[in-house]
Amino acid sequence: MSTESKRQAVAAELPRLRRYAIALMRNRVEADDLVHDVVVRALDKLHLWREGTNMRTWLFTIMHNLHANEMRRRSRALDSVPLDAAPPRAEPAGQEAAVEWSELSNAMTGLSILHRQVLLLVGVEGMTYAEAAGVLEVPVGTVMSRLSRAREDLRRRIDEGSQMSTIRRIK
Amino acid sequence: MGDDRVSDSELNALVDDELDPARQAEVEAWLADNPEAAQRVARYRAQNAGLHALYDDILNEEVPVRTAALLDVRRAGVPAWAAMAAAIALFVVGAAGGWMVRGEGVPDSGTQIASAPTSPPIDTAVLMQRASMAHVVSREDELRTPAVGGPAAMADYIADRMGKQVRVPSLESFGYDMVGGRVLPDTDGPAAQFVFADANGQKVSLYVRSEQAAGVDITYALADDLSMFYWNDSDRSYALVTRIDDDTGREALLTAAKAVYRQLSQ
Repeated sequence: MSTESKRQAVAAELPRLRRYAIALMRNRVEADDLVHDVVVRALDKLHLWREGTNMRTWLFTIMHNLHANEMRRRSRALDSVPLDAAPPRAEPAGQEAAVEWSELSNAMTGLSILHRQVLLLVGVEGMTYAEAAGVLEVPVGTVMSRLSRAREDLRRRIDEGSQMSTIRRIK
Repeated sequence: MGDDRVSDSELNALVDDELDPARQAEVEAWLADNPEAAQRVARYRAQNAGLHALYDDILNEEVPVRTAALLDVRRAGVPAWAAMAAAIALFVVGAAGGWMVRGEGVPDSGTQIASAPTSPPIDTAVLMQRASMAHVVSREDELRTPAVGGPAAMADYIADRMGKQVRVPSLESFGYDMVGGRVLPDTDGPAAQFVFADANGQKVSLYVRSEQAAGVDITYALADDLSMFYWNDSDRSYALVTRIDDDTGREALLTAAKAVYRQLSQ
């Protein structure tokens, strides 16, 4: 595979990398910075990517590592701020979806980053457990248990959210 | 059948298509008698659908220009174009900085180019008019080709006639080869023009004129059907010019220019 086609293969993954980064970080500016850094790193390491292996999971793995490093750096810089204390502002989704899915969006915002990771990789990116485990560099069993807890947590938060809005409506 | 022991993990695996077909059939049969578990599976599937509804719009968004430019994705030709302008601006600004330090013996603390506060603003009307005209009427047979003696000879040729050093930029990494260069008359002494073309014949030209002015960061402008980035580094003004044929191209180029401007002003 020529360098040019490898670059095209990287380019083809940019929309997915952005979707994951924005959903994970809930901040478009930071997400786009992360995606940019992933591409810089990937171009630097492009000769290491082996033909016949999965470009998508390779790029997501790079992204996971860069993101993890950044989170560690920040937690050192801001000792008192917990890892997952990024601004909890939900991005406005598509206009028509904004109302219907606002409870889901709010619920996602409340989840821990570990839970968001597995939900997004498996539920949105459609990765197998093995692929997600490779990206997150944890055993498959860990992906499964996190996913199970993440879905229950999300379900609970959605239910609580809709109770809240019912209460608001009644008042 | 061991189907009375379906674990949480298996319910998840069903949602995620991770069960082998035999076990999948068993679990589905079990769900028929266990409405509460069946409801959980339905909830999990709804979560996935909801997350797609929430985030899939992002897939259709434009990837930021600065990132696309790294990959030289030439869909509209715009990312490469913007990155190219940025590269040239850094290249020639850096060169001018070095030249000033040598020429005036002023110790310079950084790459910043000081411009006298009394310098007049750049005369954009003249720059745009001259650069546009030069771009439109640059016929190949009037250009000095770089083949004769290579870039160094080209630089010497231009320097001799302009009376000052001008480094010859290379756009090879953007897929543009130099077609040639020439010296043109201008109000403040001779100006230089370099012409480049890609494999499709798309032409880009860089116009360099002497102009004492307050330094101007890279700026985007449209003149008729020509688009350009221009800037000034205190004693020379530069304009990178190309033709953009449709409105979407213009819009995209504008976005690109803003990205370039942000990058350079950081």
